[in-house]
Amino acid sequence: MDVQFFVNGEERTFGGDQRTPLLDVLRGDFRLTGTKSVCRGGFCGACTVLIDGEPVPSCQRPVGLLEGAEITTIEGMAPVGELNLVQQAFLDHDVVQCGMCFPGMVITLTHFLGSNPMPGRAEIKEALAGNMCRCTGYERIVDAVLSICPTEQAEDQPPVPEVSER
Amino acid sequence: MSVKIDPETAVMDLPRRDARDKLTGRTRYMVDMAGSDALRAVIVRAKVASAKIVRLDVSAAARMRGVRAIATAADAPELHGIGIQDQPLFARDRIRYPGEPICAIAADTLEQARAAADAVLLELEDLPACFSMADALAPDAPILHPDWKNYECIVDGVARAGNIAWEAKVLRGDVDAAFARPDVTIVESCFRVGRQSHMPFEPRGALASYEDGRYHIITSTQVPWTVRAVTAKVLGVHSSLVRVTVPPVGGAFGLKFDCSIEPMAAILSRKTGRSVSLVNSREEETTTCLCRENADIWIRSAITPEGTIAGREGVVLMDAGAYGGEQVFLSTMTAHTLGASYRLGAARFSTRVIYTNTPPNGAFRSCNGAYNAFALERHTDEICQKIGMDPMAFRKKNVLRDQDLGSTGQVFEGDVLGPMLERMEALRASTGTQEHRAAGRLYGRATTVGTWNIFVGPSTATVNLNADGSATLITASVEIGSGSITQGVPQIVAANLGIHPSKVIVKGADTDAAGYDMGTGGGRTVVSMGSAATAACAVVRKRLLETASELLQTKPENLVLRDGRVEIEGRPGSGTAIETVIARAEQTQGPISGSGSFTAPGTAKAMPGCAAGHFFDAMDLPVFVVHEGEVAVDPETGEVEVLAYRVVQDVGRAINPRAVRGQIQGAVIQGIGYGLHEQITIGPSGAIEQTGFETYHIPLAQDAVKVDIDLFEGAPSCGPLGTKGVAEVAIMNGGATMACAIANATGKKVQQLPLVASRVLGLVEGFEEMLEHPHISRKWSDNILK
Ligand code: FES
Ligand code: FES
Repeated sequence: MDVQFFVNGEERTFGGDQRTPLLDVLRGDFRLTGTKSVCRGGFCGACTVLIDGEPVPSCQRPVGLLEGAEITTIEGMAPVGELNLVQQAFLDHDVVQCGMCFPGMVITLTHFLGSNPMPGRAEIKEALAGNMCRCTGYERIVDAVLSICPTEQAEDQPPVPEVSER
Repeated sequence: MSVKIDPETAVMDLPRRDARDKLTGRTRYMVDMAGSDALRAVIVRAKVASAKIVRLDVSAAARMRGVRAIATAADAPELHGIGIQDQPLFARDRIRYPGEPICAIAADTLEQARAAADAVLLELEDLPACFSMADALAPDAPILHPDWKNYECIVDGVARAGNIAWEAKVLRGDVDAAFARPDVTIVESCFRVGRQSHMPFEPRGALASYEDGRYHIITSTQVPWTVRAVTAKVLGVHSSLVRVTVPPVGGAFGLKFDCSIEPMAAILSRKTGRSVSLVNSREEETTTCLCRENADIWIRSAITPEGTIAGREGVVLMDAGAYGGEQVFLSTMTAHTLGASYRLGAARFSTRVIYTNTPPNGAFRSCNGAYNAFALERHTDEICQKIGMDPMAFRKKNVLRDQDLGSTGQVFEGDVLGPMLERMEALRASTGTQEHRAAGRLYGRATTVGTWNIFVGPSTATVNLNADGSATLITASVEIGSGSITQGVPQIVAANLGIHPSKVIVKGADTDAAGYDMGTGGGRTVVSMGSAATAACAVVRKRLLETASELLQTKPENLVLRDGRVEIEGRPGSGTAIETVIARAEQTQGPISGSGSFTAPGTAKAMPGCAAGHFFDAMDLPVFVVHEGEVAVDPETGEVEVLAYRVVQDVGRAINPRAVRGQIQGAVIQGIGYGLHEQITIGPSGAIEQTGFETYHIPLAQDAVKVDIDLFEGAPSCGPLGTKGVAEVAIMNGGATMACAIANATGKKVQQLPLVASRVLGLVEGFEEMLEHPHISRKWSDNILK
């Protein structure tokens, strides 16, 4: 049985094993390799995509369950050549290192800001419970997100003075 | 015509050129490259730790559906290894660790390759095994490498014997006399650390093809030239027949500083005539990770009534796992880490690399420095406690200063650690402390120091000047996430040529295009490749200025390169666009291009006879850190919260301060992970028990803390424009600082890392076992061979 769904607005059909994780269909069959395969266990979040608007680790979704679903991958988060607000903030704050976690970070945080436009530092960190990063030490990711939120500082932590002695 | 470059023109917060594609999912890492045309391969691995291979039969597997080729030890006749050539690509007659490769299978699909793996027949005869260093050092221990005497070594005459793969020794001054002094206080400490796993998001793997009679390996590595050499070595072919190219690497941290599974993919590509993709699964990646090694450390010091160190001795046992690997090389670093940071009257250290039937270890950001700093700083605090001296005052009194001697007799240049300690106090004064947030939990703060070395060594670079005024930088350096080759080196090139770094095109690493480089890691890229690129630019500048001198009718020494123009010094607008000069040069002598090379300056010298078994006796480019952490320990659960973290780091000159701070933030969180969360355990059969992110806990966002950073500039450096490597050393004192802060919080003797909650609770409640290291003798002569 074929499954039909939409990927980044385009109708796609998959005729293989229904148990195949969406992750492998995206990467292997459609060659949308921006979605990263890292832990394959639902822990790291590098494979996160939006399914009907909700962030989901695609390694945990058998493709057979997705009939009619609308899937957005990192490739579809902004028109080609453009960046969304979160991506732009990451670029502006020099946040990226190896980059492998960022497709998932962008999707999780873009969705998060949609429902929490004025988060505090601690809330942003909580939102990242399912998105690991091995390189950056996270804080700059949080700084970048805060930079595009109406309030700059969370109430739950005193502002940390920036020491810049050169 | 050596025109001075104004270093300040290189300093800027240049953004990353690779960020946009990484943020939009368009970057193709090695793991993204294999399309439907590529075969998929798997490795069949040993399930036992120690056995004789009686028979390997792959004939049934070869007949399975979709199988295209199988590679075995017969295809890879030679041994390889960094210091000792002791490792086969596939186990040949003997299995030495669980997870050791037996053969590799290429098939049309991964499922088919996996199915065929189950059909491989392996007949084994059990052999006795050593799972710990104490086991391996026991008098009747089974010898892992009965043939050890016949192995080729990179350095001759090193003390080795049986399971002691390598021994490095330091001996300076009369240590016995120092300890025999009637007025000294003797302090003795034992420490133990577990392994740390890199967990790069992109695992090790390769996509290989066989083109025009040559192997082409696309791989996720830090060392393209090592992969080229090792592949050729184990396959027994000329290394000119191997080409290695490297796309952006999805995390490395030292794990990819050695050739690993690339030659297997190469063999399979030749056998099938197809592209072959071979990538570790997360479980394989974790259970065969070339971890930061576990180690046992014993150290004792003789302290004078004035609070100085009359003598120090130490023994470090490093677990190599089943093969020597990086540990052989890293044994050198005991002298420059455990033996460094402080002024020592007399010193002796023995470092032994021990074979065990466990997965081989490797290099991890700051390597053994991370645990030697832990041992040294905890020992220092134990000294302070015993003699009743304030830890900061002791450090200020004893840290290495200008013209002090290191453990191997090297003379240190510049007063660096002392002023850095003062800067840490100033930083703390500006940020305040966070004791109030401990809220009823046990509060501790600690300041620690550390010394590491930038591994200089050979690099070469070519710079081509293009007609459009841009420059192409061709090197074998790799973008591993640190930004050194996409930010640092192009900034240096741009400053040398008076153009903007965005006009410097960086060619991805390709051993067919770029000359030899030792690798991207050890903090060496900005220094070594930056120096090679500077030398290349000098050639380019010379030709550019000579041509401009004719055009502008003025002497070359009156000319400056600035903002993409050649100007007459002191007369802005008087000159001409660089494109005009390039066009002229093309007509008169041909396009402008230059190459340059660099290696260790070799200026640092040890005292003769102080070091044996070392790969280098003195550090060419020492680099220093001062870390400070504040923790709150929950005495009910043993959980530790990091309340604040501060770093003063010796960076030479920060040419991209924002990027430097990003590296420090990331490295410190990895270091805190090493100190608190990241635990690898070896099971009863010698295997690594953690299989991935669910069981091996890297820090999450909620474990992270914002690091307050002060960049200490101006320390002596042979690096271009006074730079030093910054990304490597920043991790070094994470474990040390957590350990010292937790010891201060609990008042307990912290001897082991990681300080997971159960261990901290054990300390608080008094049921944590105290280490005594009975397998390390207190008699020096027992700790050295011969
Ligand atoms: S790959 Fe899906 S959560 Fe890690
Ligand atoms: S940038 Fe490397 S994992 Fe996040």
